[in-house]
Amino acid sequence: MQRRSRQERGAQVMVSKYSVVGQRHPRLDGRQKATGRSEFSDDVYLPGMLHGKIVRSSIPRGRIVNIDTSRAEQLPGVKAVITHKDTGGLMPGPDTVLLCDEMVNYFGDEVAAVAAVDEDTAAEAAELIKVEYEPMTPLFSMKEAMAEGVPPIHNYIEDNCADDISMAFGDVDKAFSESEHIRTDEYVIHPSHSSFAEHHVVVADYSLPEKLTVWTPVQSSAIIQMSLAQNFGLSSSNVRIMNLNTGGAFCGRGSERPHHYIAAILSRKTAKPVKIICTADEEFIIYRGGGKYNFTFKTGVMKDGRLKAIEADLLHDCGPYVETQFIMLRFTGFQLQMLYKVEASKFTGKLVYTNNPPYFFHHGAGLVAMRFAFGAQLDAIAKDLGIDPVEIRLKNAVDKGYTTLSEMHFASCGLKECIQKTVKKSGWKKKHGKLPPYRGIGIGCGVLRAGGKGMFDHDTSAVFIKIDEDGKVSLVTGLPDMGQGSHTAMAIIAAESLGITPEDIKVIAGDTDITPFDAGAISQRGTFTTGNAVKNACSDVKKQLGKTAATEMGVKPSELVFKDGKIFSKGKPEKAILFEDAVYNTLHSSEGRFVMGRGFYNPPTEGVSGGDYKGNPALAYSFGAQIAEVEVDPETGIVKLLNMTVAHDVGRAINPMAVEGQLDGQVFSGMGQTLFEECIMENGRVLNPSLLDYKLPRPFEVPGIEHIIVETNDPYGPFGAKEVGQGPIQCTSQAIANAVSNAIGHHIKELPITPERVLEAIRQKNKNQ
Amino acid sequence: MRLPRFEYVKASTTGEALAALQAGDGQTRILAGGTDLLVNMKYRIERPATVIGIRTIDELCSVTTGSDGSLHLGAGVTLSSLAENSLIKESCPGLGRAITAVGSKHIRNMGTIGGNACLNTRCWYYNQSQLWRDAREVCRKAGGNVCHAINGSERCHAINSSDTAPMLVALDAEMVIQNREGERRVLAREFYRNDGVRYNALEPEEMLSRIEIPRGNTERRTAFIKICSRRGLDFAMANIGAAVSVKAGRCSQVRIVIGAIASHPLILEKTAAVVEEGGLSEGGMEQAADTARTELGTLTNLFSSAGYKRQLAQVLVKRVLQELKGSSRNKRRAGK
Amino acid sequence: MKRMITLQVNGDTCEVAVEPWHTLLDVLRDQLRLTGTKKSCGIGTCGVCTVIMDGLAILSCLKLAIESQGHDITTIEGLGSADELDPVQQSFIEHGAIQCGFCTPGVIMSARALLDKNPQPSDEDVREALSGTFCRCTGHIKTIEAVKHAAEKQAGAGGTSDGQ
Ligand SMILES: Cc1cc2nc3c(=O)[nH]c(=O)nc-3n(C[C@H](O)[C@H](O)[C@H](O)COP(=O)(O)OP(=O)(O)OC[C@H]3O[C@@H](n4cnc5c(N)ncnc54)[C@H](O)[C@@H]3O)c2cc1C
Ligand code: SF4
Repeated sequence: MQRRSRQERGAQVMVSKYSVVGQRHPRLDGRQKATGRSEFSDDVYLPGMLHGKIVRSSIPRGRIVNIDTSRAEQLPGVKAVITHKDTGGLMPGPDTVLLCDEMVNYFGDEVAAVAAVDEDTAAEAAELIKVEYEPMTPLFSMKEAMAEGVPPIHNYIEDNCADDISMAFGDVDKAFSESEHIRTDEYVIHPSHSSFAEHHVVVADYSLPEKLTVWTPVQSSAIIQMSLAQNFGLSSSNVRIMNLNTGGAFCGRGSERPHHYIAAILSRKTAKPVKIICTADEEFIIYRGGGKYNFTFKTGVMKDGRLKAIEADLLHDCGPYVETQFIMLRFTGFQLQMLYKVEASKFTGKLVYTNNPPYFFHHGAGLVAMRFAFGAQLDAIAKDLGIDPVEIRLKNAVDKGYTTLSEMHFASCGLKECIQKTVKKSGWKKKHGKLPPYRGIGIGCGVLRAGGKGMFDHDTSAVFIKIDEDGKVSLVTGLPDMGQGSHTAMAIIAAESLGITPEDIKVIAGDTDITPFDAGAISQRGTFTTGNAVKNACSDVKKQLGKTAATEMGVKPSELVFKDGKIFSKGKPEKAILFEDAVYNTLHSSEGRFVMGRGFYNPPTEGVSGGDYKGNPALAYSFGAQIAEVEVDPETGIVKLLNMTVAHDVGRAINPMAVEGQLDGQVFSGMGQTLFEECIMENGRVLNPSLLDYKLPRPFEVPGIEHIIVETNDPYGPFGAKEVGQGPIQCTSQAIANAVSNAIGHHIKELPITPERVLEAIRQKNKNQ
Repeated sequence: MRLPRFEYVKASTTGEALAALQAGDGQTRILAGGTDLLVNMKYRIERPATVIGIRTIDELCSVTTGSDGSLHLGAGVTLSSLAENSLIKESCPGLGRAITAVGSKHIRNMGTIGGNACLNTRCWYYNQSQLWRDAREVCRKAGGNVCHAINGSERCHAINSSDTAPMLVALDAEMVIQNREGERRVLAREFYRNDGVRYNALEPEEMLSRIEIPRGNTERRTAFIKICSRRGLDFAMANIGAAVSVKAGRCSQVRIVIGAIASHPLILEKTAAVVEEGGLSEGGMEQAADTARTELGTLTNLFSSAGYKRQLAQVLVKRVLQELKGSSRNKRRAGK
Repeated sequence: MKRMITLQVNGDTCEVAVEPWHTLLDVLRDQLRLTGTKKSCGIGTCGVCTVIMDGLAILSCLKLAIESQGHDITTIEGLGSADELDPVQQSFIEHGAIQCGFCTPGVIMSARALLDKNPQPSDEDVREALSGTFCRCTGHIKTIEAVKHAAEKQAGAGGTSDGQ
């Protein structure tokens, strides 16, 4: 039997008025990547390049008594050894000193570093550095850390509380007092790790004191450029960030890390480029993946399932350094009132310093845990009330035009459509409550903003375009592509705007000496924000070309249409000038104008005010729903994820192929966080720090996936597009966990749902019967 | 991760390998596929002064049949070539399944049966990088006096996770060992030791040259099952190898061996006796599985809890017996 | 002490000086600058360093360079021709099986080795062949699809297959 091709089976997309937008488009750098030609940071070999190695603390907490570097310095081939004394007191964050001076705060903390002629010599030298410690009692649990009278990890923060927020909207007490049913549940989510294929790596060239060049995989060149410039006292244009290709990010590469500074200092000291690459164990030791979450959810509803009030409390272990983890608290607080209509919400959250590794957050903006917890509770509430889990979601789902308690506004919203379509496609009605024993089905929903203010006062992306005389377009952007396909999406947006094909466009990126400012591939902002900047730059181009075309054709510039490689007057396609001819004629004329476009975009929102957390941080929000079906082996506790039905309101699918890729990747990652991935912590160390023992799913585990792309044509998005970067994963975990709960008839409250936990849940259920 | 420095000796004959082993003063290791040894060296668990490559020894790299019909597997034969071996598929499909259960295709293309049979024992506190291990006192397996897996333990409990080991034991395989004096033979069941440090019978100057699988009678049925949380690339949470002769509904020569939950494959003799007694009836199989649960003795919480290991062992016994019931010698089984 | 060895890589004969502890991966990348083969975990778990040796997918991070002499080695740079991509490469591009691209060379080499041995693999065979690789971005979903499509396309081109 002939299999139907992917294109035929692929996601259904409405017939579109666009020529390029909405077509399945292979990524433009596909040939480079498929042939091994794409360069990643570790592929950079510079003349005279040295290799760096970091000496890390072997204890989780203590005072440094002495660092003896003498033997390392004498080893032939060693070019530099540095400790805190060589950093000029550099502090990458308010609670972090570069290369520990007095205290080490986690097992793996950077203490010293060496640069040598090759990796082997560097590693050998690092081993020769002897550090003497006076150990102190480490704090591994949040409870210990918050106990009265414990010596704090940072002496200027007595209660080990790195951050503490309270965010309330509406009259919470009233809403609870009016509720007809109230449930309180506690949830625990264990640490999970980003584990990107390309390890943390940096090549720094600071051979000359006035210029620092850094090759490294990042989500935002702008953030790392600014941080490095500030901390080295350089002006930011003298810090050049080369982000060639990024081997995955999953939230883990948002900002600079200590190795970036260390490589730069070693390079300055030796006047040679220095490469540092983290080994497999170091990837887990320096961590910066998902931390441990303890959630308490209290939710009040009416008997008919209408939500009244949601109150959540989060304790989050942040390790010894907070970095940008505080964002996650705020994100979580907002989320409580973004997906379902609720009368009041209250969030209290705390980041607790411990001597565990510095956590960060993992794929899903740190929100997967929260979405799992609330999704699980909502199912429990539905069960209490005898309502179908789908019904309770539909009953409370937000709509287009809805303004949340915190004044976020949804100019487009396909949540209900996503729920209805997944329900239909998955056969929910035939299955829910009717499956054989140990088979289960579950639903999850989510919402996420497309970009928005927060990291900076603005959320700007800027784009340049130059068009060579042959009509070929170079699009210059500072937006990194970590695999999500942004560069191809930008080319599609430009092609649609200019009436040409993506193949006519070359995306130039990854070099801050050339590329204009872009806040980066963070907060799912690429398609929406940089996409709008691309559109604006194209408008600029069209103005310039329009002048030539209009003059040649004797029409008004305002009447011109750019389509199918031509420029013509509205309604008169027969009288047209080729795009490339217009370009050529613009240059080769007495005016001699070389066509260059520029554009930038900063979403015109007021942002969120500091005091009451009210305001609209973003213009667009994406929505989704997913349904999972699982089979549980009651004897071994192993869960098989059979299939996923996945719908996402992306506004507009700029490139359905890439949208599917994002959906697939997020189902995979969400399934990992739900069923497999757990860093088993013991005394501040990960017991399973390798891809063998840290169990990411592999090909046999991945389920069948049905994609449903919902297009709500957002009024602000480029061609109506919003985001698909991290929205879908918000739904995955809840859907799978709820399916497992459904299969075994017991409310799952802990992630990941490992086989042992499944058996324990079955035991509990049998006990309760 | 990079390898530590070492000298390399390429052996073309068993004699050359043995000579190099003797010269090495205990600081020498045999390198077969390297998928275990080189990882351990990168972790600096092993720092041999010399490594002897044995994949260039012809006599180690072939599969032959003995005059008594036994199957002789050269220690250096890769797992993927054994997986395609029709003799194995026909005469002991359980071994075939154990072989294809190892690691991934890549690992099987490199890894050898000898290396798998001699796989070092594993532990969460030992199979870690130097940096990781530096954070703790040196444990027994690394030459110290403490055990982090079981506080106060007098011995090492590191786990033998080899997928073929339980099957080799169940098949009454003989391990043929070469040393200065010549050859000695050890039954697989005696080859494996209940000690995480000295986990097999090899002396530092010895090497395994081949594994001999007795022909078995025509009624022999074999089966292997591995339970892991992730198919395709995972050490077993528990595995089982079993062999039984079934004639006119009666079971004899029953071997049931559980692997990957202790320092050596656990031979379940009482369970086997229950099967010899009760046969492969539903009730008999249930009873055997219950017996297995109690027969296991104390287990550690290493990698998974003792209770979970016990549960898996019980399930495995039941499932392997069901499979043996359904299979016959000539039935080929595909996949894992 | 370094020794001179001769490697057969992508049909070329290369002489390189190596230490015993250098892996094939070290030599491919650091000396031959065939950086298409990526380096990641180094301990056999991720498969990004996969090359084909004598027709089999192997992990170059766990293969000593000195033990790689006399074997026929193909890296990602050796697939396809100057004018045409290998069908597996083509299929990966067309079916969206590439995202960040870091694991891609290893996955493609694993798939190529599979199709060389087994031109009409089952779903089970494909998943099995890719199990030693790791692709967080695509979640293996489109990579599995792409391998199946490459097999179909190859069968179509070779004319030996009568479908399934
Ligand atoms: C990612 C990954 C996954 C894995 N998954 C599994 C799995 O699922 N199941 C499993 O069983 N194993 C697994 N392994 C472990 C290992 O790859 C296999 O056991 C493999 O079969 C070992 O064979 P080798 O030839 O590579 O051994 P080597 O590494 O060459 O040797 C292993 C040990 O045996 C010794 N040795 C080898 N040959 C001889 C000999 N002839 N005489 C004396 N001593 C000898 C070596 O000195 C060394 O101590 C995995 C490894 C990795 C890296
Ligand atoms: S079981 Fe104990 S002694 Fe053995 S390796 Fe583990 S910690 Fe060390």
